[in-house]
Amino acid sequence: MAAVQTSGERALNKIAIVAVLIITIIFLAPIYWIVSTSFKPRNLATTIPPTVVFTPEISPFVKLMTKRSQLREQPTPEEYAAAPWWERMVFDGGEKVVRDGRGDVQWSAYPSRFLNSLIVAVTSTVLAVGMGTFTAYGFSRFKVKGEGDLLFFILSTRMLPPVVVAIPMFLMYRMVGLTDTHVGLIILYTAFNLSFSVWLMKGFIDEIPKEYEEAALVDGYTRMQAFFKIVLPEAATGIAATAVFCFITAWNEYAFALMMTNRRAQTAPPFIPSQVGSGLPDWTVIAAGTFLFLLPVAFFTFLLRNHLLRGMSFGAIRK
Amino acid sequence: MTQIELRGVQKWFGAVQVIKDLNLTIADNEFIVLLGQSGCGKTTTLRAIAGLETIDEGDILIDGKKVQHLKCSDRDIAMVFQSFSLYPHMTVYENIAFPLRATRMAKADIDKAVREVAQVLRITDLLDRRPSALSGGDMQRVAIGRALVRRPKAMLMDEPIGALDAKLREEMRAEIKRLHVKQGSTTIYVTHDQIEAMSLADRIVIMHEGVLQQVGTPEEVYQRPTNLFVAQFVGSPVMNVADTTIRETGGEVAVAVGGTERGFPFPRELLSKLNGHAASDGIALGVRPEGVLVRLEPADGFLPVEAQLIEPLGSFDIVDLKVGKEVLRARTKSGFISGTGEKVFARIDPAQAHFFDKASGRSLGVSL
Repeated sequence: MAAVQTSGERALNKIAIVAVLIITIIFLAPIYWIVSTSFKPRNLATTIPPTVVFTPEISPFVKLMTKRSQLREQPTPEEYAAAPWWERMVFDGGEKVVRDGRGDVQWSAYPSRFLNSLIVAVTSTVLAVGMGTFTAYGFSRFKVKGEGDLLFFILSTRMLPPVVVAIPMFLMYRMVGLTDTHVGLIILYTAFNLSFSVWLMKGFIDEIPKEYEEAALVDGYTRMQAFFKIVLPEAATGIAATAVFCFITAWNEYAFALMMTNRRAQTAPPFIPSQVGSGLPDWTVIAAGTFLFLLPVAFFTFLLRNHLLRGMSFGAIRK
Repeated sequence: MTQIELRGVQKWFGAVQVIKDLNLTIADNEFIVLLGQSGCGKTTTLRAIAGLETIDEGDILIDGKKVQHLKCSDRDIAMVFQSFSLYPHMTVYENIAFPLRATRMAKADIDKAVREVAQVLRITDLLDRRPSALSGGDMQRVAIGRALVRRPKAMLMDEPIGALDAKLREEMRAEIKRLHVKQGSTTIYVTHDQIEAMSLADRIVIMHEGVLQQVGTPEEVYQRPTNLFVAQFVGSPVMNVADTTIRETGGEVAVAVGGTERGFPFPRELLSKLNGHAASDGIALGVRPEGVLVRLEPADGFLPVEAQLIEPLGSFDIVDLKVGKEVLRARTKSGFISGTGEKVFARIDPAQAHFFDKASGRSLGVSL
């Protein structure tokens, strides 16, 4: 760029900044909506025009975590005084927390669905990235017969929308008893991510000069040792970037999770909207569930943001 | 004691044969330089010795044992790469210690060995740095340190200073020589730079298109090249090669260049040494620029020629002399010929003349 900007360039720069700001606002607006709704009292969640100024409260999160039922009659003052602070919030909303025979609070299914999401997403990411890295290394370093065709075949598994195979997959899964199991979802998501992982990792590993491994081989290491001691640390950036993408895909997947699971292995995405239908929709609770669900991905992405940036611009510059 | 021997080594890349029947014996402590243009098979040969490349036929022997089926980690050989190949995620210390860690050596011993090598290479103060923070010369020192630390049977170097700039190259060349004298290990060094080869080698191995052309001391390959390729590859500026006709008139032998009437006078014994080749005109004369003698005044045996171009190179000039249709390059004192177009007188020093069979390119082995 020129050291001195002309007035035209300055104006263009300003326009660009304004454009970026507008785009950012458009992208952030739904997230703001979800976050703000998750802290709203129920009666303010659906007002028109939307309420912007309100006193935030955490009652949606309390409701999210507990099983509740409609109040038929107001609680007695004694009951109200004896209830812990969070239970009073539920009373204030015209509901009561369900307790079992011994008086223990009944938790909602949300925590277990959230845990299911974590188990499935983390395991399938580890598997897809791990197998992808090995496969990519093989393609990158060795002469593989029919390499081009094999790589194309791997890529071709992504050429149709996954939902197209939903029905045959469902039938097969039912036949082998994989419906509503963690293993079933993990296999499914690993398969979805594997081709992506192979292709991305191959790009990263191609960039690592093979002289590093050759040096290690001559230095007295086996190829396996050279892979773990030299290639893996060098490919860390690529592995991180690939892992983020795979994790996001598995974490956000909705269609198959909805179809293949209904209780034991159900993940959060199909569970959160399923609450819409039970009783009157409480949008604040749905927003609270969504907000919590956004956190792990946001956190994970933030942790690896430098790697991600490199991952995005990867291959754009020829060294 | 490490002796390396190549016996009838052949190597193909697909349909292309990159090493053709290579036979070579490298003595203990010898510094061998494989010299040749890029693509001549020198690097492949080196990699085959290291075990990074398989060979299709023949044997590679280290200390009399066939090693061509051994993995590189079992050959006990160290290698320095042109790209240095320092592991970027390790410090200099870890880089040098890396080969020792493969041997499950005790930590204290590793530390001692690393520091010793660092001292020899004068890189002790760099041990905590990452390779990315080093200059080219220091990177190469570390790479050499990593190769030396294990005290391998042999050191292989693949254009180790090719990536450095000219001044640093000269410095590192001297350093490699100093190290070899001090540490004394069998070394095979690959380069395309004949100056590097001449200054470092005990013996030079010249390769061309996968075929070994000549093996000899730097003096031998310079003074007695076995064929036209070696003659023109070794030496800077390049040796003059010209078609020649040899005539005998009245007991005088004359070697004519560029179709001139008069030839340069040569002693009579040339004829007997050429052994019948003189009659054919398939002979090429080769003479290095220092073998073309130039005078400003006419003298016995000197032919009149014209200076076409003068390249001043500081300590000497290279002058293009037009002799008939040919151009001979001569080396003169700097400023000896004042300007282009000047008429001067030249002759060829018979002691520095080489004769080659044009068809085969082979030297006829004449030395006068």
